[in-house]
Amino acid sequence: MDNFINKLVELFTTPRYIESLLHGFLLTMQIAFFAIIIGLILGTIIALVDTAKRSKWMIIPKFVCKTYTTIIRGTPMALQLFIMFFVIFAIRGFPQIITAILAFGFNSAAYVAEVIRSGIQSVDIGQTEAGLALGLSRLTIFRYIVAPQAIRNIIPALGNEIITVIKETAIVSMVGMYDLNMAAKDIGSGQNMASYIVPMFVAALFYLIVIYFITFIIKRIEKHLKKSDLKTSEA
Amino acid sequence: MDNIITIKNLKKHYGNNEVLRGINFSLVKNENVVILGPSGSGKSTFLRCINHIEEPTSGEIYFNSTLITNKNIQKIRQDIGMVFQHFNLINNLTVMDNLILAPTKLKIMEREAAEKKAHSLLRHIGLSSKAYSYPSSLSGGQKQRIAIIRSMMLSPKVLLFDEPTSALDPESIGDVLSLIREVANAGMTTMIVTHEMNFAKEIASRIIFIDKGKIIEEGTPTEFFTHPQTPRVREFLQKVL
Ligand SMILES: Nc1ncnc2c1ncn2[C@@H]1O[C@H](COP(=O)(O)OP(=O)(O)OP(=O)(O)O)[C@@H](O)[C@H]1O
Ligand SMILES: [Mg+2]
Repeated sequence: MDNFINKLVELFTTPRYIESLLHGFLLTMQIAFFAIIIGLILGTIIALVDTAKRSKWMIIPKFVCKTYTTIIRGTPMALQLFIMFFVIFAIRGFPQIITAILAFGFNSAAYVAEVIRSGIQSVDIGQTEAGLALGLSRLTIFRYIVAPQAIRNIIPALGNEIITVIKETAIVSMVGMYDLNMAAKDIGSGQNMASYIVPMFVAALFYLIVIYFITFIIKRIEKHLKKSDLKTSEA
Repeated sequence: MDNIITIKNLKKHYGNNEVLRGINFSLVKNENVVILGPSGSGKSTFLRCINHIEEPTSGEIYFNSTLITNKNIQKIRQDIGMVFQHFNLINNLTVMDNLILAPTKLKIMEREAAEKKAHSLLRHIGLSSKAYSYPSSLSGGQKQRIAIIRSMMLSPKVLLFDEPTSALDPESIGDVLSLIREVANAGMTTMIVTHEMNFAKEIASRIIFIDKGKIIEEGTPTEFFTHPQTPRVREFLQKVL
């Protein structure tokens, strides 16, 4: 036990270790943050194409989106990461972090698209039909009728996706990037058990805190949406 | 003729399922046409093709003398109101916002004028107190009466009703039917799909009977109910009367 405490003290008093952990944490957060942004933007676009009214202009875009989400969702993230690193961006000197951000962003987009698509499709078709019958445009119907109702279904699932991305970035250590996961392993390369268990637990705590914080925010948003629902039924 | 709606050889297929198999029909101003027919005969599809909520497979539909196309339908829908079986009030909007959404977004009325009109219609149906409630807090009958005045906010030339009382409890049915009756008596031209035979008899200036996607009989309520021409209609009337 002493051994563990000593190691913990050592970990938090050795500048080199602290620096490693923070460096790793920062990289993890950077990759996750930008990947989530890309995922949200690209995923929204794919979902909008997917749910758009069928017409001859949409045949090819719909097919492209369908194929894209099928491939992304049907193959392992780790393999996608390898392909991005060793095939698509196998360019000498190309910043690794950008490759990683794109790999996770492109992956997340497929899942975000699925979340948004099912959120939109869960809104009763009668809501759209009422809008059409009143002479409103598809855009107005989406903006004032469908989107506000879809968002209630989308937010919780989107929260899950954000959390998944943060945790999944840990596999960048497989291509040699120094993220939080890698830092834990690196600091821990020592003789006894305490020397690698402690940094791993500390890294785990870092992940947990971030994810707890995000869960908290999502719950707050959900509650806010629920409250307006409640007002709905009491009014 | 002052035909408001003229339909020529309207067909609608879902894959191999021929739901409408050549409908010819015209609707004259001030008429109240009741559409009867067995379940699955295409009554809803017929109404929904008129305002292109379902796109017809072939055939022509004219509003006044304008051929309805995908390009002009959005504008024409302002003149063809529709009332649905399941009301379809917008869940995320208050009653007031349901009423003024179309007139304001379509820039047909200023917000204030729209609200004024909405208030006066609400007062008329005795639901002023619900103006700022959300649909989820209303009974079915209240929802449907609000859906009816919502469809009138744009002062349409025709109102289409698709089984407006089929999702209601017996008590609310009367309220909704009275409102429809009142609207019709005030000179609105209507097309009504209903299973309420007494109401059909009373309100219809003409009844059409659809079977397997075709109009197989039409006439005044008296002709239709007392001297049905086809065995199919006789059989139908035996079941429902
Ligand atoms: N969106 C759709 N896709 C495929 N088939 C459909 C669709 N809408 C309706 N149908 C089919 O078209 C036929 C006619 O349906 P419709 O709803 O017009 O009948 P209806 O006369 O209104 O019946 P009811 O009295 O039960 O309301 C049915 O066989 C139905 O299964
Ligand atoms: Mg029907």
